[in-house]
Amino acid sequence: MRLPRPHITVNDLRVGWGTRVLLEHVSFEIERGTIFAILGGSGSGKSTLLRYLIGLEQPQTGRIEIDRVGEPHRYEGVPPFGVLFQSGALFSSMTLAENLALPLTRWTPITGATARELVQAKLELVGLGPFAEHLPGEISGGMKKRAGIARALMLEADLLFFDEPSAGLDPISAVELDQLIITLSQDLGITIVIVTHELPSIFLVANHCILLDAAAKGVVAEGDPRKLRDESKIPFVHNFFTRSAPGPSAHQGG
Amino acid sequence: MNVAIRADREGNHARLVPIGSFDLAHAMAVARAVEDSEASLSGCVSVDVDLAQLDRIDGAGAVLLARLFDRLDASGRHARVMEGPNREAARLIARYRARRRDLPVRQTRVTNPLTLVGTLAADVPAKASEALDFTGRCVAAVPKAASTPSSVDWRSLPRLVQDIGADALPVTGAANLLIGVIFGFLGVSQLGPFGQVSSVPGLVVVAHFRELGPLVTAMVMAGRSGAGLASEVATMKVTEEIDALRSLGFDPVRWLVVPRCLALAATLPILTWIGDLLALAGGLAATTLITDMTSHSYIEAATNHITAANVLVGLVKTPFLALAIGLIACGQGLATRGGAAAVGSQTTVAVVQSLLSVIAISAVFTFLFALIGI
Repeated sequence: MRLPRPHITVNDLRVGWGTRVLLEHVSFEIERGTIFAILGGSGSGKSTLLRYLIGLEQPQTGRIEIDRVGEPHRYEGVPPFGVLFQSGALFSSMTLAENLALPLTRWTPITGATARELVQAKLELVGLGPFAEHLPGEISGGMKKRAGIARALMLEADLLFFDEPSAGLDPISAVELDQLIITLSQDLGITIVIVTHELPSIFLVANHCILLDAAAKGVVAEGDPRKLRDESKIPFVHNFFTRSAPGPSAHQGG
Repeated sequence: MNVAIRADREGNHARLVPIGSFDLAHAMAVARAVEDSEASLSGCVSVDVDLAQLDRIDGAGAVLLARLFDRLDASGRHARVMEGPNREAARLIARYRARRRDLPVRQTRVTNPLTLVGTLAADVPAKASEALDFTGRCVAAVPKAASTPSSVDWRSLPRLVQDIGADALPVTGAANLLIGVIFGFLGVSQLGPFGQVSSVPGLVVVAHFRELGPLVTAMVMAGRSGAGLASEVATMKVTEEIDALRSLGFDPVRWLVVPRCLALAATLPILTWIGDLLALAGGLAATTLITDMTSHSYIEAATNHITAANVLVGLVKTPFLALAIGLIACGQGLATRGGAAAVGSQTTVAVVQSLLSVIAISAVFTFLFALIGI
C-alpha cells in the first residue's frame, strides 16, 4: 500500500537573515491532519522558520514543499493555508466581521447575505458570535487571537499555521484556545502547525514536534512531545521539556 | 459542477437530497439551491435530508446547510439528517449547528444625524477638560523637570532639535522665500501705478516680519514636525511603550513632551528669523527683476523699516506658536487608543488643531499689539 504523501516536506533548509545563519540542515515532514509543534527557546529561529514555511522568505538553500501547492514562496492564487500571527494582526480600522469578510471579497464571488452567514458562522465557531460589529481595539487579546483564527479559516484551507497562539493569554483562555485547535484538527481535519514554547499547550495538543536549538543551529529532537519528555537522554531536550535549568554537564551534551 | 438540492415530496413529508460540491467555490450556487429547496417545502411537517449524494463538503457548504436546518427547526418542521456513508459531512454540519446557541447581540451604532450631533456636543466639555488637564500637567511638569533633571530625556534633545528644527529649514526657508517673491510682485503690481514702488521693500518687511514670517513658518512646522511628533508618540502609545515608561516610573509628559516642546520653542524663532531674511531676498529678487529699482536702494529702503518693534513683534510670538504645536501634537499622540488606524486619525486631528491654533494665536497677538499701539 502506498503511504499518503506528507502535507509539508522540508528538506535540508537553511534559515537565516542575510549572512547570519540561525538553522542549518533542517529536514522534517508534517503528516496530513496532525497537529505539529515547532519548539525552541527564544531566539532559536522558530518564528523565522515559520516565515519560510508560509512563503514570506525564500530559502537560499534547501526546499520546502507543500502537498498540492508546491514551494510556498512561489505560490500565487487563493491562499492554500491560513496564518494566525502572534498579535492576531487584525486590521484595526475594520470590525471583526469586515476583517473576516476581507478574504472572501478578494478571492471569491460570495457577497451579501451568504457572505454574512459564512462570516457569522466562523465567528460563532471560535465563540465570538456576539462581537461581529466590534473593532479589534474593543476586544481582549485572547479574543483577537480567536478572531485571527476565524479569519484564517475563511477560505476553508486545510492547513493552518499558528505563531505563539497562547502567548500572553491567561491560563483559561489558553486552554480554550488549545481546545479550539484540537476541535479544528479533529472535526475539520485541518493540518495545524504551531510555533510555541508553552509546554502545557504542547503536551495537550501536539501529536508530533521538532525542537530547535540556537546553539546547535538545527533540530535537536523530533517525535511525540510526551515521549521526548519521558524518554529523551539528550540533556537539552530533557531540560526543555521538564523546565529545568541546564546542569554543569548540559553544555557538553547539548 | 452542478450543485442542487433535489426535493422529493410524499404528502406532507419531504426528502431533500443535496447533490454536488457544497464548498466555498460553489457557495453562491449552494445558497441559491438552499433557498429554492426551502421554497418547495411549504406545507411539509417533516423533512429528511439525505447526504449520500454529496460529492464534497467544506466549512462553507456545512454552514449554509446548518442554517437551513436551523430555519427548518425554528419553523417547527423537524429536520432529520440521514448521513448514509457520509458521516464526515454530518459531523461538519453538526459542528456549525452546535455553535448556534450563543445568538448574536448586535451592537447598535449611532447613525441618526441628530443623535450624532448630540453625541458630538456632549463630548465637548469632556474634550475641553481633557485639553486643560493635559496643559495643566505640562505646566506642572516644568518645575518638576527642573528639580529632577533625570526625569527628562535630555539625551534626545540634540536629535529632536535636528529632526524638528534643522531638517525643517529647507521647507520653511523655501516657503518664506516664495512668500517674499509673491509680496514683491504683488507690491509692484498694486503700488506701481501710484508711483510707490519705493514702498515695496517696506511692505515686505512690515507684512512678513510682523505677521507672515512667524505664521508661515509655524504652519509649515505644524504640518511637518507636528505630524511627525504626533505619529511618533501615537505609535509609542499603541505599542505600549508609553505604558512601559509609566511602569518604569517615568512621567511621559516630562520624559517625552518637555524635550519636544523645548526643541520646538528653541528652533521656531531661529527658523522664523532665517525665513524673514529669505523673504526679504525674495522680495528683492522680484522687485529688481520687474522694476528699475536697484538692489542697493531696495536694501536701503528695507533697512529703514527693520526696526526693533517690527522684528520683535514677529519673534516674540514664535515660542507660543511652538508650544501650541508641541503640546497639541504630543497631547493627541498620548490620547491615542486602538491600533494603526487610530495613529492616522489622531495625527490628522493633531495637524488640523495645531494649524488652527497657530492662526488663532497669531490673531490674538496682532489684536493685543494693535491695542497697545505697537
